[in-house]
Amino acid sequence: MTRFDRGYQRFLHLRLVVLLAAVVILGRLFYVQLIDDRYDDMATANIIRRPEVEFPMRGEVLDRNGEYLVRSRVCYDVMVVTANIPKEGFDTLRLAQILSMDINKLRSQIKKARKAPRAPFLVTGYLSQEAKLVFDEGHFDGFYTRFRTAREYPRKIGGNLLGYVSEVTAEQVKKWEYYEAGDYIGVGGVESAYESELRGEKGVSYRIYDTHGALKGSYFDGALDVLPVKGSQLVSTIDGRLQEFAEELMVGKVGAVVALEPSTGEILVMVSSPTYNPDLMVGRERNNNYAKMLHDQRNPQFNRAVKAKYPPGSTFKLVQGLIGLQEGVLRPRDMHPCSEGYSYGSRKMKCHAHRSPVDLRDAVATSCNAYFCYVFKDIITNPKYGAIREGVKVWNEYVYSFGFGRKLGSDFYGEGTGFVPTPEFYDRKYGRWNYGSVLSCAIGQGEMGCTPLQMANLAAIVANRGYYYIPHIIKGIEGRDSLDARFYERQYTMVDSIHYVPIVEGMWRSVNVWGTSGGARLDGWDVCGKTGTAQNPNGKDHSTFLSFAPKDNPKIAISVYVEHGGFGSAIAVPIASLIEELYLTDTIKRPQLVEQVLNMKPNYSHYDKMQKKYDAARAAKK
Amino acid sequence: MKHYHDISSRGNNMSLFGNIDIFTLGLYAALVLIGLLSITSASYDSEASNIFSMSHNYMKQLMWIGISSVAAVVILLLERRYFHMFAYPAYVLGILMLLACLAVGREVNGAKAWFEFGGIRVQPVEFVKIATALTMARVMSAYSFNIKRVSDLAKIVAVLFVPLAIIILQNDTGSGLVLGAFLFVMYREGLTKYLYFPAIFTVALFISSFIFTPEAIFITLLILFSGYTLLKTGALLGHVRLLAAMFAAMLILTVATPLSGYQSIMIVCSITAVVLAVMAIKTRTLMLLWPLLMYVYAMLFVPTCDFLFTKLEPHQQNRILTFVGLKSDPRGIDYNVIQSKIAIGSGNLFGKGYLQGTQIRYDYVPEKHTDFIFCTVGEEWGFFGTLVVISLYVALIFRLMRMGERIGETFGRVYCYSVAAILLFHVWVNVGMTIGLMPVMGIPLPLMSYGGSSLVAFTILIMIAIRLDASTTDDNIYAL
Repeated sequence: MTRFDRGYQRFLHLRLVVLLAAVVILGRLFYVQLIDDRYDDMATANIIRRPEVEFPMRGEVLDRNGEYLVRSRVCYDVMVVTANIPKEGFDTLRLAQILSMDINKLRSQIKKARKAPRAPFLVTGYLSQEAKLVFDEGHFDGFYTRFRTAREYPRKIGGNLLGYVSEVTAEQVKKWEYYEAGDYIGVGGVESAYESELRGEKGVSYRIYDTHGALKGSYFDGALDVLPVKGSQLVSTIDGRLQEFAEELMVGKVGAVVALEPSTGEILVMVSSPTYNPDLMVGRERNNNYAKMLHDQRNPQFNRAVKAKYPPGSTFKLVQGLIGLQEGVLRPRDMHPCSEGYSYGSRKMKCHAHRSPVDLRDAVATSCNAYFCYVFKDIITNPKYGAIREGVKVWNEYVYSFGFGRKLGSDFYGEGTGFVPTPEFYDRKYGRWNYGSVLSCAIGQGEMGCTPLQMANLAAIVANRGYYYIPHIIKGIEGRDSLDARFYERQYTMVDSIHYVPIVEGMWRSVNVWGTSGGARLDGWDVCGKTGTAQNPNGKDHSTFLSFAPKDNPKIAISVYVEHGGFGSAIAVPIASLIEELYLTDTIKRPQLVEQVLNMKPNYSHYDKMQKKYDAARAAKK
Repeated sequence: MKHYHDISSRGNNMSLFGNIDIFTLGLYAALVLIGLLSITSASYDSEASNIFSMSHNYMKQLMWIGISSVAAVVILLLERRYFHMFAYPAYVLGILMLLACLAVGREVNGAKAWFEFGGIRVQPVEFVKIATALTMARVMSAYSFNIKRVSDLAKIVAVLFVPLAIIILQNDTGSGLVLGAFLFVMYREGLTKYLYFPAIFTVALFISSFIFTPEAIFITLLILFSGYTLLKTGALLGHVRLLAAMFAAMLILTVATPLSGYQSIMIVCSITAVVLAVMAIKTRTLMLLWPLLMYVYAMLFVPTCDFLFTKLEPHQQNRILTFVGLKSDPRGIDYNVIQSKIAIGSGNLFGKGYLQGTQIRYDYVPEKHTDFIFCTVGEEWGFFGTLVVISLYVALIFRLMRMGERIGETFGRVYCYSVAAILLFHVWVNVGMTIGLMPVMGIPLPLMSYGGSSLVAFTILIMIAIRLDASTTDDNIYAL
């Protein structure tokens, strides 16, 4: 064999073939390992799959005494990525049992999820921690859980006051960068107003999974992870016990109760009735519960306390009297006659029977309609303003300063403004108008509309003799020294402090001497009050009562409004009085009165008719 | 001359173990060791309580390494002539095993190619490789054997074809293809190169018939072959004229008649082929016949290929389609290759470190300790590691070829070349598969893949070569 031997030649050829094969393979390896860097990302994507959002615990809400109004508890969402479900399927029945779901519901959920097999799909939420452990043991490939928190309400109070937590809508996701589909957001009440404090900060974690989807640990030992930050704890101004009591008293009644601490503007009680158990808005049944409420014509979701527009009725006479005094058209000793009403032109504003004539204090105490018609007339027809519309304008300014006809600026989103008629409004409504056209405003009727919060604020203004603090529902935020500065500023009305004296005197007399509010008397506490009985087109008069106690250094100011409750003294007075009693004395010494109030069931034929009509329309649609 | 020098330097050394090629043994040991380390990494579980438990794959592999060592010692102690003597009986035994397997074997991954004894699976094809190599060596080393004689060529084709047929019946075509590696040996033994060119041409046509339309293939070939004949003859003008005429004819046929483009090409090319063939014979320019023949072959092969493809099993069709990139099925067949490429590709230059490979550890690579063991090297040791492993294989193959040359007689040479060819085939197909160069076939990486029968078989295969090389001066080879 020589170098030129045929066999040796072929040996060389074959060596070349081997070398060529090696070069091709090494070339390819060189490309795959060193040049093409897609594989690095793909390898990472394999084991991490996606950055996982870590949901923070939502902040709790305490009441003013440090008791939980809202708590967060751990729960889990069950998610599925149907592409990862093994081909041979899984034990649907067992999974349904573990998730305590109807098997058909589970099947239909998975069918829905299969439309986008790679996208995580929410199968069901609110899996308890115990159920989650059982679920984990089941090793359902393709399914996994996501840490969430659910709201819990130890006292089950304050449904529309606290608001609820719901998944963000598509519009909200678009509007705010923070939110992604599937996140929770507060809706209504405190949850909505303090969303950015309560929600905390989402975290992110990178975890390693094996090909079967089993968790294998943290990527880079968690160096890239961001821990979620728990939401701030809020301290509410609400007194939980008082709120619960008030809600109980309001059962079966439609209306609102708002109680404030006059010296701070803190809302002690805010009941909108009918209310609902906030637990109904948590859990798997929440959509059904929500729908039920949506179809309820009494609208339990509507926070009447801050949104309703009620005619204030006679409670508004306090404002008229104060404006009259400030304007100098009224002196406390001024007497006006009342012949069971006030006649103007051919018409007459009726009044109930009481002695006549009366001075301001007694007019307040007896709630004389005629007296305040004189006062209102004197205010708006004051010759110093020339024309009646100028007079109404001045009157408007005064009324606004009491917080009526505008938002008070409380910490509630969607706070109502109420309505105070202006000359422009009368122009539109009547074209030509005169004193007679606007007279009903004298006694808080006609076009006047106030929110229960505004009325309670009026009670606080009178209690404070001329100023108020903007009512608010939250008094402390974890990690912050103070609230917004506006809550610490006294808001003065345009009426001097001195003028409140006869009004307060009248309110005191109304309760303690001779008047419409006698039912509110509380021995040793100098309760002051003013009833209202507001006419309305839908049925029996609304019953309302404004009160504060004690007369000096008042601790509580309250407004109770019961739709179609009749005379102010009938329902509103006992309710307000019982709340004051509990708050001031810490006990209830009149259990029979509580019993009485609980048994008071105003006739809501107006709502019942609406409901019937609505249900019929829905049934017809179906 | 170098080779004579090699042989003479060994002289009459009678000490058997003294003649053993330590370098080959070292390469063998290195690859087995790297394989064991890789298997350990691939099946490493940091939470396992007893790392020496026999339930671990690496412990089982360690046991198989022990068994292999025993086999190696036995082989090295055997007298050289036994290999010559046992070649035919082993071959017959191998065929019988294959047949038995076909009858009572166990089906794994669709191939009925396994025996199972008490949980240990053995693939007879591993043994058949050894037997066939020995038989090939014996047939080709016969005194009267001449590969250029058709009857002798038929003998070795028959030796290869019988096991191949049975293996195909077992539905284990991938393993059967290893017998094709003997073409490598046959080339060394003087098989005409004109058989190789058509073979390569056929494979190229086969692959391109899936990727390109027949029209594109034919036109390309037309231009290629014209270029070739042009180079040989230099008749530029005639070529241009002929090509122009052909294209014009095709165009006219396609546009003006209801015939399709494909049919037009077939018609025009057929007529031209006949005309050219007649002209070539008349003018005695026989060199024209070669490209002409191949062109006609292509025109017949491509449609046949398409037809045959429809006869394949769906899983075979899918593998071919995914391999040529016509079908992507990331959750199915493609998944293995994608994951394998991800593992190797994420290794970069120096890898993620031993026991640190995420894709391996978290099961993303399927068959990670058997067919895809190379991924462990790629991911944990990077390009550096793959370079070392490939170099070791190349060195081993080179060494085996060198050994074949220096043995100086046909039996030993054919055998050594056979081992080199089988190794080359396995490494090429297996590594090629992990990086997407080859379709997925169930072919293990020699010496490294987890699995007893493969390791023992390759050990025996290589040890026989070492043994044959160790006693080049043994005069008793032909004693029987």
